[in-house]
Amino acid sequence: MFKFSKNLYTDVRIEEVFETNITFTLGKISEYKIRNYKAAFIRVFDGDRWFYSSTSDLDEIQNEIKKLSKMAKPNDKINDNPIVKKMEVNSGTFLKFKDNDISKVSEEDKLNLLKGMFPQVCENKYIKMWTARYIDCRKVKEFFSSKGSNIKFDTQRCGFSMGFVMSEGNKKLNESYQKASCCFEDLKGKNDELKKYINKCEYFLLNSKPVEKGTYTVVLSPLAAGVFAHESFGHKSESDFMIGDETMKKEWALGKKVGSDILTIVDDGNVLGSGYTPFDDEGSHAKKTYLIKDGVLAGRLHSSSTAAILEEDLTGNARSINFEYEPIVRMTTTYIEAGNETKDELISKVKNGIYVETIKHGSGMSTFTMAPSLSYVIRDGKIAEPVNISVVTGNVFKTLSEIDGVSNELELLSFVTGGCGKMEQYPLPVGFGGPYVRVNNLNVQ
Amino acid sequence: MKEIYSINHKQTSINISGSKIESVREKNILKTGLRIYKDGFIGVSGAIGKFDADELSKRANSALKAKVEYPYEITSNIKKDVIINNEIFKDNDFINEIEEVLDYLRKNQSSFIFSNKINMSTVDTSLKNEENLNLNYKDSAITVELVFKEKSSSNIMDGAIVFEDRKYNKNDFISISDDFLNAYKNNVEFKKEGKYPVVFASIDDTPFIKFISDLNGRVFGTGSSLFSKNLGKKIFNDSFTLYNSLSPEDICLQPFFDAEGTINKDYRFPLIENGVLKAANTDKKTAAMFNLPLTGSAVCDYDSIPQPGISKLKVKECEKTAKELLGGDMGIFVADAAGGDFTPDGNFATPVQLAFLYDGEKIIGRLPELQISSNIFEMYGNSFRGVSKNDIWPLGNIKAMIMDMDVKKL
Repeated sequence: MFKFSKNLYTDVRIEEVFETNITFTLGKISEYKIRNYKAAFIRVFDGDRWFYSSTSDLDEIQNEIKKLSKMAKPNDKINDNPIVKKMEVNSGTFLKFKDNDISKVSEEDKLNLLKGMFPQVCENKYIKMWTARYIDCRKVKEFFSSKGSNIKFDTQRCGFSMGFVMSEGNKKLNESYQKASCCFEDLKGKNDELKKYINKCEYFLLNSKPVEKGTYTVVLSPLAAGVFAHESFGHKSESDFMIGDETMKKEWALGKKVGSDILTIVDDGNVLGSGYTPFDDEGSHAKKTYLIKDGVLAGRLHSSSTAAILEEDLTGNARSINFEYEPIVRMTTTYIEAGNETKDELISKVKNGIYVETIKHGSGMSTFTMAPSLSYVIRDGKIAEPVNISVVTGNVFKTLSEIDGVSNELELLSFVTGGCGKMEQYPLPVGFGGPYVRVNNLNVQ
Repeated sequence: MKEIYSINHKQTSINISGSKIESVREKNILKTGLRIYKDGFIGVSGAIGKFDADELSKRANSALKAKVEYPYEITSNIKKDVIINNEIFKDNDFINEIEEVLDYLRKNQSSFIFSNKINMSTVDTSLKNEENLNLNYKDSAITVELVFKEKSSSNIMDGAIVFEDRKYNKNDFISISDDFLNAYKNNVEFKKEGKYPVVFASIDDTPFIKFISDLNGRVFGTGSSLFSKNLGKKIFNDSFTLYNSLSPEDICLQPFFDAEGTINKDYRFPLIENGVLKAANTDKKTAAMFNLPLTGSAVCDYDSIPQPGISKLKVKECEKTAKELLGGDMGIFVADAAGGDFTPDGNFATPVQLAFLYDGEKIIGRLPELQISSNIFEMYGNSFRGVSKNDIWPLGNIKAMIMDMDVKKL
């Protein structure tokens, strides 16, 4: 299809994108966007340096290859380069969503899905401001490489978010109810769940009080546990952070004990949902990667560069947010595996603690953070009154060993708003989740 | 009536890995949005790269069927160009200059590993319509986000040297890096928890999170904001003035007009003036809906419908230097504070992952990880000392915003 330059490695990624964004603000339509485009990202590697270009003109791809090739230095040993050798060669067409293509769902169905939920929001007297958003994105990607890869595959996600601000006097609460899936049909019939959620938020608004700051045992919901897994540990498993760094190689040697025995964290691009990545943006197959298994460091996430440099196997985690960016090491769907206790058993063992149900955002360096939204005191083994918390923090390295309870129910979550950010590339769709997780000694402010 | 909104982004992006240039990325992408206004409604279509004008028009017309209301006066009869022709580098000089800085850092700051991006961008934005609106903005800037990590550290990163400017000088870049990294290597003790002057760089959004959420016109107008009942009231310090700014003096690569073509006097609109709450961020729809002043705060993608938002919050500088604002006290300079937030009632807390001791002229040494906390009405009320008239560093146009806060070791 393309003429690749001799003595250089080259690949071309073509993305055909379909996106919908319908937004209602206070019941009136305020955004109606259907976006369709096709564009490409081209990479050339000479064994020393990569050269990249993006273009929205597919007729120009060959010229872009030529231009980048001129910038590179020809290398007659390029095929012996460890990074090039590491690249997978795959071929075939893998269109998983051909029969339930989200771009074929009528605009009317998408509008009606949203409108059907308006009464639940409108009838609550405390909701002063609300937006209802339907979002979908379907991508068909083609990948060609000078090593012989020739693949075509698709990913898609759709979902809605009902965001609202409740207000009563000086008390405010900003929350949202969101559902996402790869399949439009999965989004239907959520009205009762939405209503229950709004009622829960109303109770929180009217009854929450500032938390008494201190160190607590905290029980995390599957959502909060997923954010914890993603932020506290997932980013540290992205091995591009280790390149040229002997300390990190020693610190994060596979086989090292890093967490409590009951902790297992996985990343898996095969999981259907917002992190579904059957092939990454270097054409590598998705893999299930154990990052931590039974508290022991078991693996990490790779692109072909990092896998070659660290002499490990590919994991299918080289991802970019769109055609304007190069693939870098990113997570897909990251989760904590289920344990043995029930949720009730987990909570019953906490005398004085905090239950975090929803969060606004999280972050993770040596100190991880999460900013809770709906959270509650746990008193004498039972969830008690709601509390307002600015931030929960803990040292990542210590906290992984402070996990002493994991429930037996695993919940994997998908999203259509937000996403993962890494340096300039935001937002990347990812999935995460887990069971209920009990963690000791977290700092609550 | 037709209106075209176009953004052309040219960029050379250098990626650094293991303290060396790992890749060079080039892009030149044109994004075009066509808006059609008809009978009080708006329809928008968009294209990336080359497009067929008839097809774009057909799709925008088709989008009108969604009946998105837009019964507002369209900005018209203004022609204004702000073209900042600043050639920062010639052709290949950009890569060579960065090579030289990296070479210096590898030799002279050899206990660190450097990574991430340095970009050279030119953005050309225009908004034109059939009612004689013709606004054009062109600007170029270098954006440095150089992440560093001490070789002996087990963190994935320890900090970042960050600035954006229309000018570049290799020696200045090196001097900023040396100041930062030498201070990083000098561990200083945090003796006692208590109230201290905390210094935020003016490019840090952390202390503005509450203003971003609660001064959104929609949130404000519906009574859902912490500030909703305070319009016209003095709720902050006399010396606190906060602008929504699109001034080229305050921000690079962003046009001087908002997404609806609204241009403010001096390209700034005061949201809070001398402590008095004057306005919330509005586009035309929000201003009309809630009878609020139009602040020129419409933002959107090239192919979206304008919504109220914020490009840049700017606090007015005072007549004092950072040193004078500290008044002999040592300040705690927040170099990296990730993950904190405000509660609905305005209480604020955040960990500070990287903090330095700062005397108003120089960062002295690295403090341990800290926790800072306060309340929005305190931070910008009695505890607010001001924003320095001087820049912290020779590049980046970064001022020091200083306020007293509760500080303790994390």
